[in-house]
Amino acid sequence: MNKTLQQKNTQNLFTRLLIILLVGSLLFYVLMRMQARHMQRKQLELSQLNMWNAFVHQRGIMPAHVYGEYDIVESSNALPQWLNDPRDTTLYYANQKQWHPFEIMTGRFHLNGKDYQVTTYVSSTEINHLIIKVFLVEAFIFVLLFVAVIYINRKTSAALWMPFRETMKKLNEFDITKKQPFEVPAQTGITEFNELNAVADNLVTKAKQAYHNQKQFVENASHEIQTPLAIIRSKLELLINQPGMTEKTAGLLADITEANERLSQMNRNLLLLAKIENNQFPAKGPVDLSVLLNKIIDTYQLHYEERFPSISKYIQQNVSITANPSLIEILINNLVRNAIIHNIPSGFIRVELNSNAFKIWNSGPALEMAPEQLFERFRKGNDEVKSTGLGLALVKQICQLYDFKLDYHYAGETHEITVIFDET
Amino acid sequence: MKLLVIEDEPSLLKAVVEFFTQEDFLCESAGSYKEGIRKIEDFQYDCIILDINLPGGSGLELLKYLRRNKNSDGVIIISARDSLDDKIAGLDLGADDYITKPFHMSELNARVKALIRRKYGQGKNILELGSLTIDVLSRTAHIDQHPLMLTKNEYDLLLFLVTNKNRVVSRQAIAEHLFGEEANNLSSFDFVYSHIKNLKRKFKEKGADDLIQTVYGLGYKIII
Repeated sequence: MNKTLQQKNTQNLFTRLLIILLVGSLLFYVLMRMQARHMQRKQLELSQLNMWNAFVHQRGIMPAHVYGEYDIVESSNALPQWLNDPRDTTLYYANQKQWHPFEIMTGRFHLNGKDYQVTTYVSSTEINHLIIKVFLVEAFIFVLLFVAVIYINRKTSAALWMPFRETMKKLNEFDITKKQPFEVPAQTGITEFNELNAVADNLVTKAKQAYHNQKQFVENASHEIQTPLAIIRSKLELLINQPGMTEKTAGLLADITEANERLSQMNRNLLLLAKIENNQFPAKGPVDLSVLLNKIIDTYQLHYEERFPSISKYIQQNVSITANPSLIEILINNLVRNAIIHNIPSGFIRVELNSNAFKIWNSGPALEMAPEQLFERFRKGNDEVKSTGLGLALVKQICQLYDFKLDYHYAGETHEITVIFDET
Repeated sequence: MKLLVIEDEPSLLKAVVEFFTQEDFLCESAGSYKEGIRKIEDFQYDCIILDINLPGGSGLELLKYLRRNKNSDGVIIISARDSLDDKIAGLDLGADDYITKPFHMSELNARVKALIRRKYGQGKNILELGSLTIDVLSRTAHIDQHPLMLTKNEYDLLLFLVTNKNRVVSRQAIAEHLFGEEANNLSSFDFVYSHIKNLKRKFKEKGADDLIQTVYGLGYKIII
């Protein structure tokens, strides 16, 4: 499962830091316990010595037993080894009606040929309380540290990755088909990101160059092909006027002529596409779409006469946009022609124009390709119309040039193409 | 009629010269800017067909030179560059018409004839072809004084065929002449066919059968 670097970092910190802190706390507790034991032993030893000295100097005056302080017992028994180590015990305090924990230790002393065993007491309550309090404070500090480390880590990593996110955003927004600059800062303050930006910049420059070369190639090729095509066409026209032609020769010539015409048309459209891509149509001016659309439809109606599909027009008057007039004419013309050509016998066309969109519907069978491929070059429909397969590619290219939004829908045996001029 | 063709592509130049020689023009040719200038200085032409891309200089420069010297020869520019700029520049410099490569010979022929008619042929606004007469000013046609009722497309088609009389004019050339550059698909050939059919029917009604001939799958021609 993939997570963001920050999440990953936090997760890592959570588990590892927690383990370290838990182990640290445990170690701290154990060390404190050991230290406390050591301290109590030293206290007991000192108190043993003090009590014995007092007992020797004030013999007979000093009591042999003080509850909770010391016991001095005369004993010739050999002292077992464990008695000389601090050990736990509890004493009952009747007035408090409570048992209290104590540490005791017994030592062996000699006086006038007699053996005495001196046992001293030290209360464990206070040291236990101290340990708990110190441990709690430590735990609190550790929790604070834990939270602070995670917080700081998250904050700094967000700030640290800023240049990376900026570069990602720029790369994502970059569109090679548009003539937009790609600019990422060369100096981000972080060496790795400087490298990343340099690599991205280099990549984009190379891609731009390759794209430019490819466009240039298409334009140059189309341009150079024009002359041979013109020669073939002119020679064919001379040839078809040669006397004594047989029907077979005429048939062959008809096929050659037709193929040559299609080649010319395709070449013309490719050249046009390349020119639009290379932004060679800078001349802009107001274009009255209402007049243009009516004119184009009238022309087609005139040409197609009774075979023109039934048409319904909803054209708002005085719809005008600023663009290159020739390109807009191509755009509208290709969409209208597309609707006529890819129609069914006695089908219909419906056009709608208002100040921010042009819509055209036509009856027709469903596409045999994915709708998103419709506007690609050399995508042809399923009918027998000998089109160049570039008409809608031109539409797409022109829309791209002017930032028009192009949409296609198919529902109820009807194709719908929408061009939105202004999305606001 | 004297015609000068200035075109750097020898093969195309030859084809154009051959075509217009068949049309009874007196044709001269030039393959470069310098040669063009020399021919212009030495002779007077009724029409000059001028390519824009020439070795040694631009066709537009040549046109400028021509107009500077008060030479009013008719000029039709041909160019592979179908850019608007060239077209506008050419017409601004005083070209009479503009045609882009690749073009149909029959189309170029129609342009040349129309130019010559406009420029010099004041008395030739009536075309006569046997029993058929066409008045290009009023855009009407008669057969033996009987007026033909023609639609705009039919009239344009008829004039185009008459201009290219005795020649096979391809369906593609007709379609492009009538419907423009974008016309090239099967359906527009169907329209050419139906317009021809209507024309033939109207001729027959006026008793002029067989004026228009169909040449197999290639195209049509008018014969006197």
